[in-house]
Amino acid sequence: MRVGIIGCGGMGYHHARMATNCGLRVAACGDTVRSKAEALAQEYSAEPVSDSLALVRRNDVDIVAVCTPTPNHAPYVVAAAEAGKHIFCEKPFGRTVEQCREAIAAARKAKVKLFVAHVLRYFQEFEAIKAQIDAGKVGKVGFVKSYRGGVYPRGEANWFRDYAQSGGVTLDCIIHDFDWLRYVFGDAERVFCQALQRSEPDVLDYSLVTFRMKSGVIAHVIGTWAHPSGFRVKVEVCGDGGMLQFDSADAPISSMMREQAGGTPGMIIPSSPVPVSPYQLEWQDFVGWLEGKHPPRVKPEDGLKAVRMALGALESAKTGRPVKL
Amino acid sequence: MMAKIGMMSFAHMHAYSYAASVKQLPDATLAAIWDDNPKRGREMARKFGAPFISNVKKFLAADVDAVIICSENVKHRPMVELAAAAGKWILCEKPLATTVKDGEAMVATCKKAGVGLGTAFPCRYAPTLIEVKSQIAAGKFGEIYAASCTNNGSYPGGWFSEPQLSGGGATMDHTVHVVDLLRWMTGKEFTRVYCENGTLIHKKLKTDDVGVVHLEMEGGLMVSHIASWNRSRSFPTWGDVTLELIGEKGVISVDAFNQKVNVYCDKVMRAEWVCWSGNMDLGLVKDFVAAVDARREPPITGVDGLKAVEVTVAAYEAAKRRKPVPLTT
Repeated sequence: MRVGIIGCGGMGYHHARMATNCGLRVAACGDTVRSKAEALAQEYSAEPVSDSLALVRRNDVDIVAVCTPTPNHAPYVVAAAEAGKHIFCEKPFGRTVEQCREAIAAARKAKVKLFVAHVLRYFQEFEAIKAQIDAGKVGKVGFVKSYRGGVYPRGEANWFRDYAQSGGVTLDCIIHDFDWLRYVFGDAERVFCQALQRSEPDVLDYSLVTFRMKSGVIAHVIGTWAHPSGFRVKVEVCGDGGMLQFDSADAPISSMMREQAGGTPGMIIPSSPVPVSPYQLEWQDFVGWLEGKHPPRVKPEDGLKAVRMALGALESAKTGRPVKL
Repeated sequence: MMAKIGMMSFAHMHAYSYAASVKQLPDATLAAIWDDNPKRGREMARKFGAPFISNVKKFLAADVDAVIICSENVKHRPMVELAAAAGKWILCEKPLATTVKDGEAMVATCKKAGVGLGTAFPCRYAPTLIEVKSQIAAGKFGEIYAASCTNNGSYPGGWFSEPQLSGGGATMDHTVHVVDLLRWMTGKEFTRVYCENGTLIHKKLKTDDVGVVHLEMEGGLMVSHIASWNRSRSFPTWGDVTLELIGEKGVISVDAFNQKVNVYCDKVMRAEWVCWSGNMDLGLVKDFVAAVDARREPPITGVDGLKAVEVTVAAYEAAKRRKPVPLTT
């Protein structure tokens, strides 16, 4: 099977490599910025395309991977479905719930397979946490806290800085945690959120989100794009029989570089290598589904529900009131 | 001068540390102990080498300059009123009260009686938190925009989960420290409170054991705080006080008691974190004794205690009504 990548930024590069590692061939690379399409296409001897709507109709493309800024996910998913292609769509699934619905309907109508890349479900540490919970190590869970983020991300034309497009850290980053909370603890009943979303004098976002799950569990999620550097993930789960904690800063490898001429000195870089990247596991799951071997770990409805949680949080931040989901 | 300090009730475990602090101070003496539980009072009298006086009137008539009240939360008010009427300086355990009405009455009574009323917020004496406050005050982080905080603990047991004695659970017990720290560090008051809480860890309790409190301070500073008894019995320590502050020029995080030695003892079969940093209770009691000596208001006042009570009470109201509650500053 041959893959067409739409959006040749960081995630486009990443998914091109993962698809190739799965034995797929990258046939075409689309980006509205021609030079970006050409740069990625060159690495895989693929065709560069400026018009991604033309890319989805190419005969040498069987799978379309949508890696664009969020508001463009759904239009490309719909176009790819109408062209009869299977779709791998980055998270967040859409900028609105309506967009997610349209994408799901288009895929259903065209009888193509649509996968939403909630990669956290494939992270080894998160699978280990889930396994401990499932094994009853913390008893019945009552409280969950997770923390994710670091420096404000850069993107093509700084699109992350436009909150109307990206939804800030709440929609773009901690949607990972929102999906994982649903995956492990079921649906959320209501949400309360405070979101910083500053643009002046510096672009900073910090989000404090509390979900009341239908089960009664309280989940608190903190998202930061307010740190000067680094990236950190923390999780804590408390139950009537114990508790567990994970902190990515507590890593097996840490390195620190001596200052070189013109280089950046001093920062400790933690790293925690795994034999197979979670992104690779995610592609294996997707490809296995396409080959009819098993259902996927993430369904399009999961992508929609995660978007609904994030948009509920942003609505709460705007109105100052809890939002029923 | 030698300040003569009396202890009123050992119901709250912090009384042990405060009594021990009084014993350590060269300019203070533990003059008398009263407790409405005479068995506990006599035991403490033996432990700390001070006379036990079973009759509260006789205790207050004794040669005592000041009292430290560590009763169950709801008894703070009647004990403060008795001590104030007897002209004693007072250090009251947190939360100062379980209702705003009680807290206001306590502050007014002490003012009228001309006695000093202090609230026991020992975290203001933790070296880690003093350092963070001084860095913020120096402007190193510029304006503070947001904070995420915790005061987690293990379930203390006993009267803490008897609502008629405690006035509430973990939200009542573990909101006030961080609320006070944020007021102290930023100089701002709270304007709005939302809370989700419940009995989530220890299902048989009659009170909440986890509260997530969302707060707004003057100028829009946004805060989330976790007040909990969610630490399991096997957790290496009793709990924590943590704050992450997001500022204009940078970010600072503090885990107040993370000055520790990790201990793995086969007799215990549970990892232990042994905190080696300074004794913050000693700092609290020392400053109180100095205020008693000078007959001036203790540095952490009854009003500071009352402000924290207002936020906590509003958190319970918000949780019940499922909507934010405004606070007047």
